[in-house]
Amino acid sequence: MGRSYFVEEAVEKYLSGLQAAPGSCLTGLLAGQSSPQKDFVVLAVQTPQRESEVQPESSRGGSALDGIDVAWLTEHAKQVSRMLPGGLCILGMFLVTAPELSKDANNTLKRLIFAMEKYVTKGRLWDPSEEDVTDRAALHICSKTKKAVCKTFDVKDPKSSAKPADWKYQTGVSSSWPMLICSVELDLQIFLKGSDSTDKCMKDALSRWAKQIEAGVCLIGGRQVLDEAELVLSQKKNSKTSPRQTLPVRILISEEMSEVDERSTAQVQVCSGSMTIRGVVHCRAYVHNNKPKAKHAAKAIKRDIINTVSSRVEMFLEDLLISDGSLKVNFSSLFLCDYMFPDESSADVAERLKEMLDWETPEEDIDISLEVFPSGSEKTDSISDEVMTSIISENHEVKKTSKYYADTQVVERCALSVCLHVRTHFTWNFTDAIQLFGSSWRQ
Amino acid sequence: MVYPEECDIIFRVKGVVEFSCQLENPNSPQSQSIISKSFQLLQWKLSSKNVVFSICKSPVILWPNVSFQSSMESLTGASACGDVLQYIESDDCGGRKSSKKKDKKRSEPTVVNIKLLFEVTNPTGTEAPSLIQVGTQQHSVKMPMPLDCIVSVTADVSLLTVCTKLVEALGKQLSDMEEVVLQYRKGSSFLVPQPFHFLLPEPAGLSTVVYPAGVPDSQLQALREALHKKFKLLTDRPYLRRANAFHFPDEVNKDGYLRNPHMYLNPPNIENAKLYQVHGVYSYHHYMQDRVDDDGWGCAYRSLQTICSWFQQQGYVDTAVPSHTQIQQALVDVGDKEPRFVGSRQWIGSIEVQAVLNQMLGVTSKIMFVSQGSDLATKGRELANHFLTEGTPIMIGGGVLAHTILGVMWSENTGHIRYLILDPHYTGGEDLQTIIDKGWCGWKGPEFWDQNAYYNLCLPQRPKTI
Repeated sequence: MGRSYFVEEAVEKYLSGLQAAPGSCLTGLLAGQSSPQKDFVVLAVQTPQRESEVQPESSRGGSALDGIDVAWLTEHAKQVSRMLPGGLCILGMFLVTAPELSKDANNTLKRLIFAMEKYVTKGRLWDPSEEDVTDRAALHICSKTKKAVCKTFDVKDPKSSAKPADWKYQTGVSSSWPMLICSVELDLQIFLKGSDSTDKCMKDALSRWAKQIEAGVCLIGGRQVLDEAELVLSQKKNSKTSPRQTLPVRILISEEMSEVDERSTAQVQVCSGSMTIRGVVHCRAYVHNNKPKAKHAAKAIKRDIINTVSSRVEMFLEDLLISDGSLKVNFSSLFLCDYMFPDESSADVAERLKEMLDWETPEEDIDISLEVFPSGSEKTDSISDEVMTSIISENHEVKKTSKYYADTQVVERCALSVCLHVRTHFTWNFTDAIQLFGSSWRQ
Repeated sequence: MVYPEECDIIFRVKGVVEFSCQLENPNSPQSQSIISKSFQLLQWKLSSKNVVFSICKSPVILWPNVSFQSSMESLTGASACGDVLQYIESDDCGGRKSSKKKDKKRSEPTVVNIKLLFEVTNPTGTEAPSLIQVGTQQHSVKMPMPLDCIVSVTADVSLLTVCTKLVEALGKQLSDMEEVVLQYRKGSSFLVPQPFHFLLPEPAGLSTVVYPAGVPDSQLQALREALHKKFKLLTDRPYLRRANAFHFPDEVNKDGYLRNPHMYLNPPNIENAKLYQVHGVYSYHHYMQDRVDDDGWGCAYRSLQTICSWFQQQGYVDTAVPSHTQIQQALVDVGDKEPRFVGSRQWIGSIEVQAVLNQMLGVTSKIMFVSQGSDLATKGRELANHFLTEGTPIMIGGGVLAHTILGVMWSENTGHIRYLILDPHYTGGEDLQTIIDKGWCGWKGPEFWDQNAYYNLCLPQRPKTI
């Protein structure tokens, strides 16, 4: 018995609109949510063309399939998966080829899917659980007949063979999926040991924090997530027209770390410096509404929290690398140019969305909200040799004061994310806020 | 064990806050104020709106610092704290003691365990994450503060009051911990402060003391003397050694031995008689335990083990209860036995018990000789006095048997006497029901003794230290 994929109608429209140039092929990603019984596909995105790329042609002495740039494809997959809200992930790939290449399609898809899975999951901070579905969809579309055939491969088993799967189009697959939201306060301290790289120190600190989140108590809509209970949703009278339910999530963590608690002395390390990451991230996850378990929902939102913070930290690291340890922080650095500047317009954002996600978005649908620039931003575009210390006042507000301190170099880097409400009324039924994280992968 | 007056429920909150600070020069005079500032941050954290009490084994979650928020609509600040009990899943396994307790007079208070958690999804600001980098070399210090606070109340006290008291207790404990950390710090070496609960005589009751980890009891004498003064405790017996820590009713004994089985007995009803019995806690040692088949020869060894367990659990010694071999080796070491005694199945008597207690634990004992068993009925006064002043278990050997006497019921007027006996000849498992029902721990009359045999009793003397 193979898997069943329930696919948004809008995806069908998108896929049928794809044109592969003669002799070439198109690749792309399928995104959605898996549950033990069914899978739901809500998004398809073709791999964007490289600007300087020459279309792989069979006349170059190999088949078009051999010419697929796997590195480019997997990088795109990683960027897109970062942009997906919690609960959604890349659950397969599609390949559009000319009829004569159809027989090799499955092997190619298998190769690409395994490569993508490996790349996208590298450095992931949460461990996959037993209940995670490891089958990935391999969709082959013939460019002439437009016929789509779906098979699955199990990414846990490198020797797996293609298994048959159902591919069914439906309307409103995700229109009434409940949305879980929360805002997470972050206060992460990272100590830099001389022997370890900055990267490793940050990853270690993040990894410890991620474990706390994973082990944390989760409250959805005020109820604690325990055992095998189903997620409690309000009654839906008409699933097509009722608004999407929003469920607030609360996460409670314990600071207990079992291996540390056995010690009788403090852990003391000599560090060459330290870094603190402070601020608030907004997280979102969607859950299918086919009798979802509360545990599944909790997992989705926790993973989104961890992914969100992990992506931010990765960007900080990239920025540090680029700026080569120098202290100049500049809002116009490469790192930040994908973010919304005060002087940017919705048009710029729309352009980026089209490029990365192949979406047409009317400008009036782009609505910027939720996050603000940190208040200290105006101080940071010069080399500073001041120490910024935070003191917690009696009213529990974080205040910043500065005082002079020779030989200390402090840098504040700000990473702002733009939270967009994208209501693309003609292509998707899926109403959402998507967070843009990835740094530019333009060349 | 006497519980504090009028206590139905003990609320116990446990959790960790991580202490973290950066010291440029751990030996500079500024370090102390930096450390104190870090503790100040933790105090703030404990009084913040993000503190959460999660009641273990229940869906009840409370936010004590947010004008009382609770995850259950039916539980408000004004609710009686006893209402919480209905939401707690009862423990099926390990409830042996509570379900089969025969002594209905002494009702144990219920322990409600609470986990200290922190909410991360209720931010104060909305600022996007920023990264602050400090480039100086420094010593980074991290250690967990293992908070463990208790509040004993009657069931009608409001939940709001209980939570307020718990939060107060957490803050106070943190500042006790700060004191201990500062006092025992040497440069960049910090000792983790650990809380211990002790059930002290009234008026102190159930109290908590913070000790530095890794510093043995022997080095904390001065601290204990000060505490004895503070709690108005006698200075001839230990109350505040780590081994004296209160054993909560819901905590399972890790070593598997039964503790104080005599507590589940009703003393016999004798006119004008008073009860004199062992103080504190001992473990029941008997035949066949620890995979040693000593059936028929080991009874005195087991009685000795019971006595050793008493000294260990009252905090007089750190040494573990000795095995048969170790007991035999001790006797060889003092020259009482030949080396081939070790590994044999030879019996020992009260004299040997006295010798081992002296050799291994540094405990002296008095020997009482009784020329015939019938005379034991006349020893009421001596035995009563022993339990009054020393309160230690007595080993008695005679005829072909050894037993442990845990107490007497004695009337000064009539001379009527009963003996509370712990019998080491039991060969079964740690089944309290059987042990009580079949009288392996039970009250016996003077006819219990072999009327014609002579008996030696070993009465261990309690060291007069704290």
